[in-house]
Amino acid sequence: MFKKLIEESTGKSPWLFHINAGSCNGCDIELVSVLTPRYDAERLGFKLAGTPRHADIVVVTGPVTQQSLNRVLRTIEQVPEPRCIVTMGSCPQSGNVFRGSYAIAGPLSKYVHVDVDVAGCTPKPEAVIDGLVKATEILREKRRAMK
Amino acid sequence: MFSLAFLQTALLYLGYILIFPGFLFCFVIGLLLCGIDRKAVARMQKRVGPPILQPFYDFFKLCGKETIVPAAANRTTFMLAPLVGLAALVVIQLFIPVFNFRVFRNLPEVADIIVILYLLLIPAVSVMLGGAATGSPYAGVGLSREMVTVLAVELPLVLVLLSVAKTVGNALGNGLVFSLSGIVDFQAAHGSLIGRVSMIPAALAMLLIIPGETGNHPFDAAEAETEICEGLLAEYSGAPLGIYKLSHAVKMLTLTSLFVALFLGGIGTGVEHLVAAIGLTGGFAAALSLILQVLILVLLCIVLTLVTISFVHAVTARLKIEQLFKYYWTVVTGLALISLVLAWYGY
Amino acid sequence: MMNVLSYQHFPIYAIMVLFLGAFLIVLFGKNKIARSCLALLSVTGSLALLVSLVPRVMLNGEIITYWMGNRAYAGGYAIGIALEVDALSLFFALLIAVAVFVSCVYSIRYMEHDDNIPQYYTLFLMLAGGVLGLVLSGDLFNMFIMVEILTFAAVALTAFRNTARGALEAAFKYLVVGSIGSTCILAGTIMLYAQVHTLNFAQLSALIPGHLNGSTRVAFALLFVGFSTKAFLVPFHPLAADAHGAAPASISVLISGVLTKSGIYGIIRLVYFLFQSMGLRPIQFMLVFVGSVSMFVCVTMALAQHDFKRLLAFHSISQIGYVLTAVGLSTALGISAGLYHAMNHTIFKGLLFLAAGAVLHETGTTDLDRLGGLSKRMPHTTVLFLIGAASISGIPPFNGFASKWLIYQAAYLRAVETGNIGYLLVTIIALVTSTLTLASFVKVSQSVFFGRLPEEFKDVKEVPFGMRFAMSLFAILCVLTGLLPDLVTKLLSGPAAQAVLNPIRYIAAARGIEMPVENAALPQAAGAWSPINWLLLLGIALFAITLVALLGKYDQVSENASGEKLPAKYDLFFSGEKSVYSQVGGGDLFWGFKHNWRHYFSFMHDLHSGVVNDYALWAVVALALAIAFLQIVL
Repeated sequence: MFKKLIEESTGKSPWLFHINAGSCNGCDIELVSVLTPRYDAERLGFKLAGTPRHADIVVVTGPVTQQSLNRVLRTIEQVPEPRCIVTMGSCPQSGNVFRGSYAIAGPLSKYVHVDVDVAGCTPKPEAVIDGLVKATEILREKRRAMK
Repeated sequence: MFSLAFLQTALLYLGYILIFPGFLFCFVIGLLLCGIDRKAVARMQKRVGPPILQPFYDFFKLCGKETIVPAAANRTTFMLAPLVGLAALVVIQLFIPVFNFRVFRNLPEVADIIVILYLLLIPAVSVMLGGAATGSPYAGVGLSREMVTVLAVELPLVLVLLSVAKTVGNALGNGLVFSLSGIVDFQAAHGSLIGRVSMIPAALAMLLIIPGETGNHPFDAAEAETEICEGLLAEYSGAPLGIYKLSHAVKMLTLTSLFVALFLGGIGTGVEHLVAAIGLTGGFAAALSLILQVLILVLLCIVLTLVTISFVHAVTARLKIEQLFKYYWTVVTGLALISLVLAWYGY
Repeated sequence: MMNVLSYQHFPIYAIMVLFLGAFLIVLFGKNKIARSCLALLSVTGSLALLVSLVPRVMLNGEIITYWMGNRAYAGGYAIGIALEVDALSLFFALLIAVAVFVSCVYSIRYMEHDDNIPQYYTLFLMLAGGVLGLVLSGDLFNMFIMVEILTFAAVALTAFRNTARGALEAAFKYLVVGSIGSTCILAGTIMLYAQVHTLNFAQLSALIPGHLNGSTRVAFALLFVGFSTKAFLVPFHPLAADAHGAAPASISVLISGVLTKSGIYGIIRLVYFLFQSMGLRPIQFMLVFVGSVSMFVCVTMALAQHDFKRLLAFHSISQIGYVLTAVGLSTALGISAGLYHAMNHTIFKGLLFLAAGAVLHETGTTDLDRLGGLSKRMPHTTVLFLIGAASISGIPPFNGFASKWLIYQAAYLRAVETGNIGYLLVTIIALVTSTLTLASFVKVSQSVFFGRLPEEFKDVKEVPFGMRFAMSLFAILCVLTGLLPDLVTKLLSGPAAQAVLNPIRYIAAARGIEMPVENAALPQAAGAWSPINWLLLLGIALFAITLVALLGKYDQVSENASGEKLPAKYDLFFSGEKSVYSQVGGGDLFWGFKHNWRHYFSFMHDLHSGVVNDYALWAVVALALAIAFLQIVL
C-alpha cells in the first residue's frame, strides 16, 4: 500500500529543474510562462526547484554547446533517481539553426537517454505542458520499476 | 511499578506523543495548512493552484526518491539532523494546550514560555547543522541568512512573551505568569487576551513573527531558491528532504497554535459548558468537547495561516537579509515594545 | 591539639598538596612519568579533600575556621592567619578543583611535544594553588598574596609558548594591567587596615559597615576594580582575548574557568561580606550595570572575531557578565542562579577551550577562515564541541540553559518586584545575548567542524584518547548539571547562596560561635522546566520517528563508497561546475546582522586599539569612575 502511495504521489508532484544549454532564451521564457496564472502548471503539481537534488524532471533548452556539455551532464548526474529528461525546443534535439556549428556538441541524446522531446521553436505552452505530463507518466513507470 | 495502571499511563502518553497532539496530528494538520496556504496564494494570484493535498503528494514522493549523500558531507549529521528537528517540534506541540485539553494535566508542567522560546531554536539549529554538514557553499550562505533571521525574530518574540507574562501576572495580581497553561487558564476565566488594549500590538507583532519564524515568503531569504539554490537544503534529496519539508509544515502549525494559546485562548474553552447544556455527560461528552475544541483550533490555525502566511506571501516580494533584520528590529520590535510598556504600566 | 587527620585540616591540605606538587616537580620533573604522576596525584588529592567536605559544609551548613599555627582570636583581635571555609568558599573551591583536575588530565597528552614541560607543571600547580588559596582564605592580605601568585603564574603560562606570534605581547599586556589590578587590591587592603587595624576577613566584615568614611569608600572602589581586573570585566576584556589567544588550551581553561571565578568570588565577598552593601540600590545598580555591559559588549566583540580561541575568550567574559548580573540582583534566586551559571560556565567553557586546543593540536591553527570540515576527521571532538556549544548557547537540556533560564526568571521577577524598568531591560539584554551567543557558535560549527575540508588538513587525525577523555569528563558534567538542576541547587548553589545572604554567620564562626542554620526555603522560579521529562519525551519522539523512518527505508542512501575517483553524482552541486574548494569564511559570516550594526562595530573596532597604554588608561579611568561613584552614593 505504501509503495502504491509513493507511486501515485510520484506522478502528482513532479519538480522541475531547468538547464539552459546555450539557449536563445526563447524557450526559457516559454517555460516560465507555463507557470504563470494563464497556464498554471502548479495545478498539476509542477514546481520549479532550485537545485538538481530536489528535481524529478530536468528540462534542457538550447543546442548543448561545447562549453555547456560537461556542465549539463554533471548536473543531470546529480539528480536523484527516478528522474526524467525532457528536451524543450528543437535545439537540443537537432541543433536547429545551429546545426553543424563547431561550437555545438548536441544533440543531447548522443550523451544521455532523453525521455521526452518537445519540439518547436519555441514550443507552445500547451505543448510543453503536454510533454511534461507525458514525462510524469514515465516518471511513475520508473518509480514502479524501482525495487 | 509495572502494574496495569502504569502500563495504561505509559500507553496513554505514547498515544499523546504518537497520535494526538503529537506526531500524527502534526503530520496531517501541518501538511494540510501548507496545502491550504499554497492553494490560497494561487487563488490570490488568480491561478487554479495545486490540490489541497499537494504537500502530502510531495512528501510521499520525496520518500520514494533516492537519497544522495554527497562525498563531502558528514553522513551522521546529514541524516540525523532532520529527525532531531522534527522530534523537537513534535514535543513542543505537546506543551501547547488545546484550550482545556492538556497533555500534562496531572503532572507538574514541563516547560514554560521561555523554555518554548528556546525549544523553538532546536529545529532551526538542526537544519543549520544539517546544511552545514554537506559542505556546500550555498548551504554556508543559507546558514548565515537563517541565523540572522533567527536573530531578527528572537528579539520581538521575547518582548511579546514577556508582555504576555506580565499582563496575565498583573491581572491575577501575582507578578508574573510564565506557564503557558496558566495563560490559557486565565483566558478561559477572563476572556481572550486579544481583547485587551495592551495586547493588540503584541498580537500584531506575533502575526508578523510567524512567517519569519517559519521562513515563509517574504522572509525566506535563507531558502531563496532562485539565488542560493534553496540554501541549507541545497544538497538534500529524498526522504531527509521530505522530513525537512514536513518540519516546515509542522512549524506553521506550532506557531499558529502558539498564537491561539497566547492570544485567543478563551475562544474554545466554553465548549464544555455548551456540551453540558445540551444534556450530555460522561465520557462521550468529554470526547465530543475535545473534538470540538480541536476543530476550533484547526479552524483558527487555518485562518491565521491565511492571514499571516498566505496573504503576506501573495502581496510582497522577498526581502534582502539586511532589510529583514532591520524590519524585525524596528517595526516588529516597536510593536512588541509598545505592548510591553503598556503592560508594564498596567493597561 | 587537633588530630592531624581531622577534617579541619583539609582546606590547608588541599592548598598544600598543590604547592608541594609544584616544588616536587621542580626536583623530580625530568622524568616524564614522574612529573605526570606527581601532577595528577596532587590535583586528585586536592579534589578528593574538598569533595570530602561537601556533606559537612554544604548540607550541614558548617563553617570551618582554621587558624594557622593555632593562633586564634586573642584580645578581640584576630592576629593569626585564618582559613575560613563556608559554603561559598567551598563552592568555588570545588569548581576550581574540578577544572584543574580535568585540565591536568588533558595537559599530559596536549603538552607532550612542548619544551620545558616541568616548568609548565610547576606553574600550572602554582596557579591552581594560588586560586584555591584565594577562595579558601579568611584573611584579606592573604587573598592579596594569592592574587599575586596566581597573576604571575598566569602571566608566565600565557607566554609559555613564547615562540608563537603574539605570546609575549599578550603576556606583557596581561602583566601591565594585571599589576594595576593587584596594586589596587593591595592599596585597598592597606586602607582598610589603616582604618580598623585588622586583616581578618570576618572581623573586617564585622567592623567596616560601621566605619564607612571617605577612606573605606575609596578602598571599596580599589578592591572592586582590582577584582574586576581578575575577572576581566569590561573594560579589562581585551586582555583576556590576547591572553587566551596565546596561552595553551589547558591554561585557557584555568584562566577562564578558574581565574575569572576568583575575581567574581572576590567581588561577592567584597559587596556581600566586607561592606554588606547589597541592600543599597546604587551598589546593585553598579553590579548589574557592569555585568550587563560585559555581557553584551563581549558577545558582540566575539561575533567580530576570526580566531577560535579569541572568540571563546570574549564569550567567557560575556558569561561572567551573566554571573555578575545575577549576583547583583541580590535576591536568593538571583544569587543561586548566578553561582549555578558560574559553575556551568567553568564546565562548558572548559570543554570548549579543550576542543579548541584539540583543533590546534591537530591542525596547528585556530584561524576560523582557514579551518573547515573537521567533523569528518575528528568525529569525537566534534560531538564534544557540539555539547559545549549547545550548553553555552542555552540549548535545552544542557546546563547553560538551566542556569540562564533561572537568571531570566530572577531578573524579570526582580523587575516586577521593584517596578524598576531597568531590570526589564536587563532581562531582554540577557535573552538577546543568549541568541547572539548561539549565532557565534553556529559560526564556529560551520567554519571549523562542518563545511568543506581544506586540502591542507586532509590527513588530520583524531586527538589521542587522553585528551578526548578529559573533554568527555566535562561533557558528562555538562549533561548532568543540565539534567539535574534541582539537585545542583539543593547541593551546591543553594547553600552557597544562603551563605552569601548570611554574612553574620560567617562573622560569628570566626569567633568560634556557631550560629544555627536558617533553613530558608530554596529559591523558587516562577516558571517550570523539568529537563528529564522533556528529554524523555524527546527521546521517545525521536525514537518513534527514527523507527518509522527506518521502516520506510530511510537509511538506504547512495554514497560514494569507492572514494577513489569522485563521480559527478556525489560531487557538490556547484551550478554545474566541477566543485572546487569553497568555504564561506568564518570571520564575517553574519553580514546581514553586521550591516545593520556597522556603526557600532566600527566604533568598537576603533576603540580596541590593541595598545597597552590605552588599556592601562581604561583601567585608571574605570578606577576613577568607581571612586567617584562610590563617594557619591555610599
